[in-house]
Amino acid sequence: MWMDISTLEPGHKLFSRRIAITDDAVAGYLTAVDDDGEAYAREGITPPMAVAAVVMGEALQAIELPAGAVHTGQELGFEAPVNVGAEVDCAATVVQNSVRRGTRFMALEITADVGDDRALTGRVSLAIPEGAIPEGGE
Amino acid sequence: MATPESLPEISHKVTQAQLAKYADASGDHNPLHLDEAFAAGTPYGRTIAHGMLVLAFVSETMTKSFGRAWMCEGKLKAKFRAPVYPGDTLTTTGTLKSTSDAKATYDFVVRKQDGSDVLTAEAAVPIAC
Repeated sequence: MWMDISTLEPGHKLFSRRIAITDDAVAGYLTAVDDDGEAYAREGITPPMAVAAVVMGEALQAIELPAGAVHTGQELGFEAPVNVGAEVDCAATVVQNSVRRGTRFMALEITADVGDDRALTGRVSLAIPEGAIPEGGE
Repeated sequence: MATPESLPEISHKVTQAQLAKYADASGDHNPLHLDEAFAAGTPYGRTIAHGMLVLAFVSETMTKSFGRAWMCEGKLKAKFRAPVYPGDTLTTTGTLKSTSDAKATYDFVVRKQDGSDVLTAEAAVPIAC
């Protein structure tokens, strides 16, 4: 049974999880985005987009988007550096879920913290045609 | 910190193999990005790139120009305008929009080889740190 996204109220926490940002994870990310990574290696910092990618991946898995869903917008704020090897507390919360003219508009707030410090904030905007079939739903 | 009027252009050819690598790196294994048969049944007709993969090219440009200031205090606001398919070559351009005492803001466009926009974004970086 898939998640019924129509029932998700603003304030609903989609997931909250601690994730280790390993050397291998960073290397895999840099290969995937075709980035030489020199600037990050020089600073000893995890690419902030790698952290964002992991949080987004978790959020989109949690929400089980239908096939017709469109990622329409993305906001990100990098608040503090994340060192390679750090453990990051990631979370995503529904902040908007409404239907207008046959399309569901959802927005998620994402965060990543290292200890007591916020490392990343973001807002994800999604448009989902009403009646779209969830992946694996049929 | 210098705030050039335009940032160095970068180009990337997106491949299906790259989408598989990005799925592994991000954990986003949505079949829309990976499964040709599944994607054929969607409005896109083929697999498409993850939006965050395309957005990474904007961040790459900002990182190469502003280094640690971008990594630690950058702000990014993007709209995804059109799908990107494997085989597309994307060019990312950034031009200075405004400066203040505290930050520089750049307008970004990511374009396909046919000149169509697939992503527009605004990126702000502190210049006083």
